[in-house]
Amino acid sequence: MIIGVISAFIATIGFSIIFHVPKEELIFCGSIGALGWLVYLLCIDFGSSPIVANFIASLIVSQGSSSLAKIRKIPVTILLIPGIIPVVPGAATYQTMHSLLLGDYMEAASYASYTFQVAAVIAGAIALTTMLPRILGTVNK
Amino acid sequence: MNEFKSKQILHFAVKAGEIMLQSGAETYRVEDTISRILKSKDFNIAETFVVPTCIIVTIDNPNIEPITHLKRIKNRSTRLDKISLVNDLSRKYVDGLISTEEALLELDCINSTKSYSAPMIISATAVSAGFFTLMFGGRLIDFFPSLLIGFLLAVVNIWFTSRDVISYLIYFSSGFIIGASVICISWFAPSINIDSVVIGSIMPLVPGVAFTNSIRDMIGDEIISGLSRGVEALFIAVSIAAGVGIAMNIFSSIGGVSL
Repeated sequence: MIIGVISAFIATIGFSIIFHVPKEELIFCGSIGALGWLVYLLCIDFGSSPIVANFIASLIVSQGSSSLAKIRKIPVTILLIPGIIPVVPGAATYQTMHSLLLGDYMEAASYASYTFQVAAVIAGAIALTTMLPRILGTVNK
Repeated sequence: MNEFKSKQILHFAVKAGEIMLQSGAETYRVEDTISRILKSKDFNIAETFVVPTCIIVTIDNPNIEPITHLKRIKNRSTRLDKISLVNDLSRKYVDGLISTEEALLELDCINSTKSYSAPMIISATAVSAGFFTLMFGGRLIDFFPSLLIGFLLAVVNIWFTSRDVISYLIYFSSGFIIGASVICISWFAPSINIDSVVIGSIMPLVPGVAFTNSIRDMIGDEIISGLSRGVEALFIAVSIAAGVGIAMNIFSSIGGVSL
């Protein structure tokens, strides 16, 4: 698990460099990515389903990056795009393709539906945290 | 405010929007920035319409003719640093800290800022491919093949991009390279776990920008942009998967490795 979180940290920083994140923010991008993956692994450890774990991890990533963006006075996109990467269903996409390749359509359909569920859950989490200040009425116009 | 002045402000607003959109900003953020810039200058009417490939802005005041500016956006890439810089600049401008001339000059500066060098990007891709493999439960023996594939991937990506190849073909070829090299490596090192190497290597390619922006645009009530970016993300994913799949199929039948 420690290896996983450290890897997530370094991998997210690498990903941020590909997308030209400014040097000063790299460390924050990495932390957000690692935090998301840590939360995901913890949720799985506590026996929650992968979908729920993804939802909670994306909530944390999304909320974390918007709070941090406010403090650092930068657009939230800069932290959110690299930070969300560890929870994006890359592995499931590959499994879908792999099962199709082997002609196992049942397996492929189940992986595909898993991919879409994870994508939908991430979308929901981002939407929720974006709207949270409005729901709670703490938005300052 | 005379017509020259208005045109200059409009020019600045559209140019700022153009740079942001080309750098991969969400549509609603671009619209918001342009509107803020124009509102700070007291136009009676300032209407903005932005989709991922086009910006249209109209301004009007009693003492000038209405002016419309349409800007077609090409060459989209991901430069998150530029988004941040333009964001800072527009804030300063809206607060009245700099004049329009200065702001225009600064925009040119931002547009030509160099970011990370090609070797930096290549090593970043290699490292992130390697560590994504570890992150998804790969062993140390899977780390090095991913590192190598990540390196190859970045080199090919940069070479193709410099030749103006369409992005979906780049994604397809990148996928193909991943699939081909992983099978080739497994001929010499049969103990590697093909699944974790491939998963780690495709992670640097996943359409994170299109996907995240699609969601954020949908939330910002930009239905057209949200949909088109969502479809873009789907197309990218399918291109990569197709590339990996075809390559693995061809190369495993050559070498007789069972998938």
